[in-house]
Amino acid sequence: MEDIPDDESWTDWFQRYGPKLLLCARQWTRSLADAEDVVQEAFVRFWRHQRGLGGEPQALLFTSVRRAAIDLARRNSRRSAREEHADGGLESTEPLFETPLEGDDRRAAIESALRQLPVEQREVLVLKIWGELTFDQIAAQLGIPPNTAASRYRYALGALRETLTAADCHG
Amino acid sequence: MDNELHELEAELKRLRPVAPAPAVAAEIGVALAVPRRRFWAWTALPLAAGLAGIALLREHPAAPTPAPAPVVAAAAYKPVSAENLLYAQRDEGLVTLADGTTARRYRSSYVDTITWKNPRTQASLRWSVPRTEERVIPVSFQ
Repeated sequence: MEDIPDDESWTDWFQRYGPKLLLCARQWTRSLADAEDVVQEAFVRFWRHQRGLGGEPQALLFTSVRRAAIDLARRNSRRSAREEHADGGLESTEPLFETPLEGDDRRAAIESALRQLPVEQREVLVLKIWGELTFDQIAAQLGIPPNTAASRYRYALGALRETLTAADCHG
Repeated sequence: MDNELHELEAELKRLRPVAPAPAVAAEIGVALAVPRRRFWAWTALPLAAGLAGIALLREHPAAPTPAPAPVVAAAAYKPVSAENLLYAQRDEGLVTLADGTTARRYRSSYVDTITWKNPRTQASLRWSVPRTEERVIPVSFQ
């Protein structure tokens, strides 16, 4: 992954990576609106303070998104203890992915299967597939060993396959 | 990983996550347009406004007043509009005040834009400053 060229505007970058960031933010927030707030806050923070740091800008941005989501979760938990949910997000029913021209049932089945995954597997899967991070980067992001990230990824794929196969059999 | 998992992996990669609402990009644009360091904004902007006022006056050589002092030039400008743009609002949750009262704190971020105009020369001057408003509202538990 390359550094951000000096002449690249934030709009180009946001257009390219915004959907991936939003999907990742939705892992860690309760609603689409919260996830959008997190993406906005994280992106502004990143663009102002972190993009010149060098290294992998995309990984830095995902870190920024995760921190913003954690901050929001803390604020929310202070706001109302009775509304407090476990971390894990994806509780809203809005689609996670664009509707393809064909095979929308399959997209819906995949989304449903994703929502059923354990949080720790799903966040690794999302960061790997749509965040395009390496296992080392995911490990740094989540504070786990790279081997654990890799095994969670394999478990997640296996669980998805099982759920989708069962859905095919019953559907 | 077996082939079946590779196929599933490839299928997942073909799915495109939904994009954030256009309002998100708009709000990022507003936030990034606000000067980064508020201290500098508050001190530098009035200075810049004064300098811009002088520069504008110099662009109108036909004006009969010969080389006015900045204070005199500023006095010729009349405020014609004031706008507040709210670009972020946050509920910061419950806080405990010094007297032990529980309250909820809200923080709102604005960009205030004031426009002055010199009615004689039609020169105008616009001044934008960031402003953060913090509201603390006592709450009571039933």
